[in-house]
Amino acid sequence: MPPRARAALLQGTLDLLILKALSAGELHGLGVSRRIEQITGGTFRVQPGSLFPALHRLEEAGWLDSRWQPSENNRRAKYYELTRAGRKQLGEEAAHWQHISLAIARALET
Amino acid sequence: MWQPLRQLWRNIVRRRQVAREIDEEVRGAFESLVEEFEGSGLSPAEARRAATLAFGRVETVEAQVRDVRRGAFLDTLAQDVRFGLRLLARSPLFAIFAAASLALGIGAAGAAFALFDRLVLRELPVAQPDRLVVASFGGPGGRHNYSLPYPQFEAIRARSRTLAGVFALHPFGRVTVTLRGDSSIAEGVYVSGDYYRVLGLAPALGRLLQPADDRPGVAVAVLSHGYWQRRFGGRPDIVGTSVLLNAVPFTIVGVEPEGFTGTEVGRPHDVSLPMRAIERLSEGPPRWDKAFWTWIYVMGRLKPGVTIEEAEQETRAIFAQVGLDAAASPGQVQLARTHQLRLQPAATGTASDLRTTYGRWLRLLLAVVIAVLLLASLNVATLLLSRADARQREIATRLALGAGRARIVRQLLTESMLLAAIAAGLGLALATWGSRVLLRLATPFLETPPLVLAPDGRLLAFLAGLAVVTCLLFGLMPALRSTSSARLTASRQVGGGRHRRGLDRSLVMAQVALSLVLLVGAGLFLRTLGRLWAQETGYDRRDVLMFSIDAHLAGKRGDDIAETYRRVLEALEPLPGARRISASAVRAVSHNYYFIDSMARIGDRELPDGQQVRVAYNLTAPGYFATLGIPLVAGRDFDRGDTPASSPVVIVSESLARHFTGNPIGQRIGPDTNTSEVVGVAKDIRYGSVKDAPREVMYVPLFQVPSKQLWFAPTFAIRYAGRPGDLIPAIRDAVARVDPGLELIGVRTLEAQTDASLTRERLLALLTAYGGGFALVLSCLGLYGVLSDRVTLRTAEIGLRLALGAQPAAVRRLVLGEAALMVAAGALAGLGGALATARLVRSQLFGVEPDDPVALAGAVLLLVAMAALAAYLPARRASRLDPLAALRHEGGS
Repeated sequence: MPPRARAALLQGTLDLLILKALSAGELHGLGVSRRIEQITGGTFRVQPGSLFPALHRLEEAGWLDSRWQPSENNRRAKYYELTRAGRKQLGEEAAHWQHISLAIARALET
Repeated sequence: MWQPLRQLWRNIVRRRQVAREIDEEVRGAFESLVEEFEGSGLSPAEARRAATLAFGRVETVEAQVRDVRRGAFLDTLAQDVRFGLRLLARSPLFAIFAAASLALGIGAAGAAFALFDRLVLRELPVAQPDRLVVASFGGPGGRHNYSLPYPQFEAIRARSRTLAGVFALHPFGRVTVTLRGDSSIAEGVYVSGDYYRVLGLAPALGRLLQPADDRPGVAVAVLSHGYWQRRFGGRPDIVGTSVLLNAVPFTIVGVEPEGFTGTEVGRPHDVSLPMRAIERLSEGPPRWDKAFWTWIYVMGRLKPGVTIEEAEQETRAIFAQVGLDAAASPGQVQLARTHQLRLQPAATGTASDLRTTYGRWLRLLLAVVIAVLLLASLNVATLLLSRADARQREIATRLALGAGRARIVRQLLTESMLLAAIAAGLGLALATWGSRVLLRLATPFLETPPLVLAPDGRLLAFLAGLAVVTCLLFGLMPALRSTSSARLTASRQVGGGRHRRGLDRSLVMAQVALSLVLLVGAGLFLRTLGRLWAQETGYDRRDVLMFSIDAHLAGKRGDDIAETYRRVLEALEPLPGARRISASAVRAVSHNYYFIDSMARIGDRELPDGQQVRVAYNLTAPGYFATLGIPLVAGRDFDRGDTPASSPVVIVSESLARHFTGNPIGQRIGPDTNTSEVVGVAKDIRYGSVKDAPREVMYVPLFQVPSKQLWFAPTFAIRYAGRPGDLIPAIRDAVARVDPGLELIGVRTLEAQTDASLTRERLLALLTAYGGGFALVLSCLGLYGVLSDRVTLRTAEIGLRLALGAQPAAVRRLVLGEAALMVAAGALAGLGGALATARLVRSQLFGVEPDDPVALAGAVLLLVAMAALAAYLPARRASRLDPLAALRHEGGS
């Protein structure tokens, strides 16, 4: 059983995390959630109630593409992958995020 | 760019498929989680519980996904609309009543707005109407005259550098149009050559008039689009056809664009002719060089970048110079010095009689109907409030189950919006029909309506706006209140809590106050109408039949004109039922003509400029005073001996007679050295309308003036015995025997003419009375509803009182006392409002003060009587409750 949530998801970071999670290749919904948990070292655990709406929102924004295919346990699942626009968006949001986190880190040092 | 639209389309049109896919995706993820738990050794039931704990409810997640998809709001809206329709269908009586009362209010407001918009607000359908200006002139503090002299117009046209174009027009009224022997009467206008170019109009057919047409010797005419359709069935071959206008040949060269009815809004023209064509149709002296003869309207278009002040400054100087150069007497010099030109914006055209008469009136009517609409909304709000109480449990349950307050308010508002939309739809039909009926009533003698009243975007926008505002008014308050948290606790108590009692009481009080204002208004206007009818006019309006004839329309010229009128009088003489006959230039209670002159010589006195006596004058045939029943107080009437060959004579009114020293009979009067002998004095009459004060009037023999002064259409008057309907065919025959080309115009009795002159007052009184009656019924229904509710809610308490021995009369007093409190408070506020608003409509009253005690007391009495009736029914019900049954009554809902 996965551990309880360890940190509240920061506002605006969910999109960035989903895009990053999908940058390595296509995944279905639960897969995205697990990948996020994995790449954040278990710090972030996304609830389905936030995850699925976000996936649909990003898809409608044109950053994700989706198709139906069989999953690992032979169930039909909806797989998402980054579009070209999504990759560009990931780059922008990552840069923006680094800019902010640097600024905050500097602020905390002084 | 198309991607979002495609998704929206898919989300809406393939809603089911999208929902299915979302379900498969979310449920699939959930199921695979369950399987994983099972794989880790949990029993199926435990696995499912663990998965639900980690995942949340599948349906909730799906709903959250649906909410982020494009077009989600449309989904909720559709749900709300379906739900709202179901609810309305469940209480059809409420739905029908609410929609009908709102539709009446919205429809009436729409009808008044449609007329007001077409008559006053709308810009002319020409190029850049906001650059048009209209000229007028006047002395300091005096009224401005929109009729200008021709030489000043010519000078402005030639010299102005601030105006891109200037044109003149002269609406000359009726003209007979004859095509291949088939005659009918049309409205004509003379326009200067630049008229169509400056307005920037393009022809629907053929060509429009141009400067080259405005020369002597050219005989061309342009038809309006409406007239072309009406009279010639839109035949394209009309262009190039020759027609007779008052028996003079003209060639039709084109048709105006559709929708254009002239620059004088409310008085559409049918045929336009070049200004110079006046010389072919009229025998009057040439007016082109008369700098003090005002007869044309002048309009212009500002050059780009020029302000109206700059243009006014320039044209004012030109206007003054022409007047000063032409002035031939000290009086004219004085006039030219003091009277200045003024330019005003003319985007909405110039004011016709119809606009002047009904512009302010329509504003008042609009205020009245909006008050009625406001009242209808308050009434529906009261109804919704008691419905909301009945639905309290449902709403409380939904709130408890976690529905957001905003969501429920939105849904309640959707219901109200549905009602408002249905009402607005019905209101549109009502507004279209109502505006046509109103226009018909306001212009009873016109064959074709003077305004085009087709529903259009502006009317639709107005109605939609009204619907939204009324919906918020009657829907928002109940919706907010029935979802407030205070309500949730209150719903558990008996009686709905103190809060509700305050609100529906104030709603009823507001309704009572508003309907009292309307009733007082109706009373004031009805009394005004009564005063006007009872007004002593100085003539006897019973049993007089009138009609006009214009010999010019039959192509008569010169001395033939007077001869024709004389022969018509002779032909009428022997008709059975015609007791007395006569004719006059000016018709009683009509504004078709109003002749004014200044008298400089009265008896021995010679009056200087500024002290001359302004008189209204009429030209009358022998027997006029006997026919109209105006007593002659001294001297004689005109007779056959008063001819162009005999010495000039006049009859003066009593008011004018007072300007003479001694007996006026035998003394002389005149505008200059051309004086006439006074042979009679007539009793004063209210000359132009029943509202006029008696004034100085001079009567001139119709058959003594030179023929070329008979350019008008005289009115023949017959004092008859029997029924006028029997007389009219005989009159037609008699006139046709004189000349078959003569047409009878405006055949009606003097009473009908008086009635028509009071149309505005009558319509206002009737419409306010209807509005007030409707308002009264609505507010009594509101009162009845609130009291009934109250009795139901207090059933247990009343039962207890009865069981403890209270008399039924005491219980009745309990309910009636509450009603009296509401009505008294409402009536007090209403009286204050009525007194304040009545002052604003003082100009529409006649012979009645704004605080007229009869109108005030009558309105209050009517209100109290109706309210007592509305309150008595629930009071009686309360006093007849069976105490035992009432005590068992649980209270609340």
